[in-house]
Amino acid sequence: MRQKLPLVKSIRRTISENLPAIVVLFSTVVLAVVVGGAGGLAQIINSIVTGGMWALMAVGLALVFGVMNIPQFAHGEAFMVGAYASYFVFQVLRRNLENSSSAFLRAATPLVAIAAAAVAGFILGLFLEKLLFYPLRLRSKAGEWVMNAFLLTVGISFMLTNGTTLVLGANYRGVPQYWSAAPWTILGAPVSVDRAMAFIISVICIAALWLFLSHTRTGRAIRAVSQDEIGAQMMGVNLNFIYPLTLGLATALAAVAGGSLLFLFQAYPTVGVSPLYLAWYVVMMAGLGNIAGAIVGGFIVGILQTATQQFAGVVWTDVIPTMVMIVILLVVPSGIFGTDVKGISEK
Amino acid sequence: MTSMDVQEGKRSDLWSRIVVCINAIGCSPLGAGLLVVLVVLPLIPPFNQEHFVRWFIMGAFLAAQAIAFDFTAGYINVVNFGFAAFLGVGAYTSAILANEMPFLIVQPGISPWIGMWAGAVLAGLLGLGLGWLTLRLRGIFAAVMAWFVGIALMGLTRNLAPLTRGSMGLHPSTFLDTTSNLPYYYIILAMMIVIYVTLRLVTRSHIGLAFKAIGQNLDAAKASGINPTFYRVLNFTLSCFFAGWLGSFYAHYYASLTPRSVMHTAKTTEVLAIAYIGGRGSIWGGMIVAFPFVFFIEYVRSTFAELPGLHMVIYGALMILLMIFYPSGVAGMVESIRERAEAILRARVAVGESDAQVARAPKADVSQK
Repeated sequence: MRQKLPLVKSIRRTISENLPAIVVLFSTVVLAVVVGGAGGLAQIINSIVTGGMWALMAVGLALVFGVMNIPQFAHGEAFMVGAYASYFVFQVLRRNLENSSSAFLRAATPLVAIAAAAVAGFILGLFLEKLLFYPLRLRSKAGEWVMNAFLLTVGISFMLTNGTTLVLGANYRGVPQYWSAAPWTILGAPVSVDRAMAFIISVICIAALWLFLSHTRTGRAIRAVSQDEIGAQMMGVNLNFIYPLTLGLATALAAVAGGSLLFLFQAYPTVGVSPLYLAWYVVMMAGLGNIAGAIVGGFIVGILQTATQQFAGVVWTDVIPTMVMIVILLVVPSGIFGTDVKGISEK
Repeated sequence: MTSMDVQEGKRSDLWSRIVVCINAIGCSPLGAGLLVVLVVLPLIPPFNQEHFVRWFIMGAFLAAQAIAFDFTAGYINVVNFGFAAFLGVGAYTSAILANEMPFLIVQPGISPWIGMWAGAVLAGLLGLGLGWLTLRLRGIFAAVMAWFVGIALMGLTRNLAPLTRGSMGLHPSTFLDTTSNLPYYYIILAMMIVIYVTLRLVTRSHIGLAFKAIGQNLDAAKASGINPTFYRVLNFTLSCFFAGWLGSFYAHYYASLTPRSVMHTAKTTEVLAIAYIGGRGSIWGGMIVAFPFVFFIEYVRSTFAELPGLHMVIYGALMILLMIFYPSGVAGMVESIRERAEAILRARVAVGESDAQVARAPKADVSQK
């Protein structure tokens, strides 16, 4: 009896410490079951697919906040850049490969386009860090950095959106379908190849990022910086290498999301607004700077969105999640999975 | 000689009394002079054309918004990212209250002059609620939550079609039965001055001191016995109240409201850009910048009509450059110029005084002897 007591206690403590996460996860599963019961399996699969992409966006956001302390408001513009890059590369490739007999080449074209989005996103991140955040960091005082960086990203977002309108015009550019194959059947529900591939891409990207962060020297350096900047510097980590790399990776992830969802979100100067909102939503819910939480959070938000659309109508998609968020922030200000970021609450 | 002295003394007495009066409402003599220029300018020939007057109205509207925005952003360091949504709440409330048309389910037909206060109070109450819920969190959380709430309010406005006609938009009645823009200019100018004077007086009182303390160093402010949540909520509520008040002007001047045209985040960003280019924590910076800026932007827009969005790119570029290289904005620039001028002046006066002393010294010796 006596030996069992600590075990019971420790289980109880684990539960009480992770209560918010357990409650939210449990209600998400219930919600998913209800959605599945009302709308069929396809609904669940759809929400998981888009959820994967929100996870991709949110991971980038969490990474940038955790490592560089930047509340990135221009993350949606990385999505937009990715969408445009994919669109143009895909159009050029398709025109040239239209009459190609190789089925492999035709199937690989979209992947090349999405890879181009990743490259474009990475370059965008490098430029932003080197041209804007670096000079700001030199001039900013310690206490003002977060707010200054936030306002700077607002300016960047403003400029990228309107600059795109200026250069490319306010036209919608999209592809109806990347892969023209027949939809796959998963557990009896038809899922279009584009959606399935988007999910696979998000899983691969997240897994690759995870391996990179946990198993390479550079990845460990990134995590070290997120834990303690000065400590990492003393261990010989070069911040001028880590910062551009982190921002580049984060924007590349958002750009991949933009590229792979081109069939759902047509490229347009302000296409990034709603992905940005959702990514921020995920990050706030999971806890700012919590990368693992952001992955799970992406799927939760995907299901919450589908449920809202199904039971309250498309028009309420913005309203109900905000109410849920207010409740979550009131109960657990640091997010359901908690975060290491200090000083969230005044108390 | 004596009469001259008395006259001069009287004049300087009158002048100093005027300065005291101007200072009492939170202006400097230079600022008051600029205000007089703003009042008179639309009456003088090149500027009295209707499209110029319309630009003046846009400038005053933007300036008033920037003042209310900077009151929160510059003083307690919380960026109200849902500012445009609060403005929209005021606009819609006053528009619905003024409605007499049968296409909405309610036709109260209340005069916009009364409705504008209802809009302001509702926006203020919403601000109070949101502030009370989120302002105990650090600044960035409050900003993001205000953004979420702004998006939700926009969605709500779009969805409550029986009240707001959704994205089809409302066409509320105007304040006055006139096609001239000039009376509206004086309305918005008066509103701007009221907002400026009110907020200026608040920031000059001990409450403003508490705001500044909270914005600069929260822990130190708490240690000196300031309740940060109380002052932040107070500040946020006031700012939202004035946002709603300004919204009613938008509704009854442009006479066209859609959720996108008033409540979108891009509108907040425009105000934010003006407030920060003007200089954070100054209140008057945005006011100085808004007028020339609107003229410049409108000029660019009408000259380069084939390049849509160019003026917005300039907006963004200016904001980025200022944020990095001159974070204190135009107000900071003016301050530093004034300080330098004062230092030079003081040096001159000191030199003059020492000259006078040198000149006086032998005389004094003579008188002693």
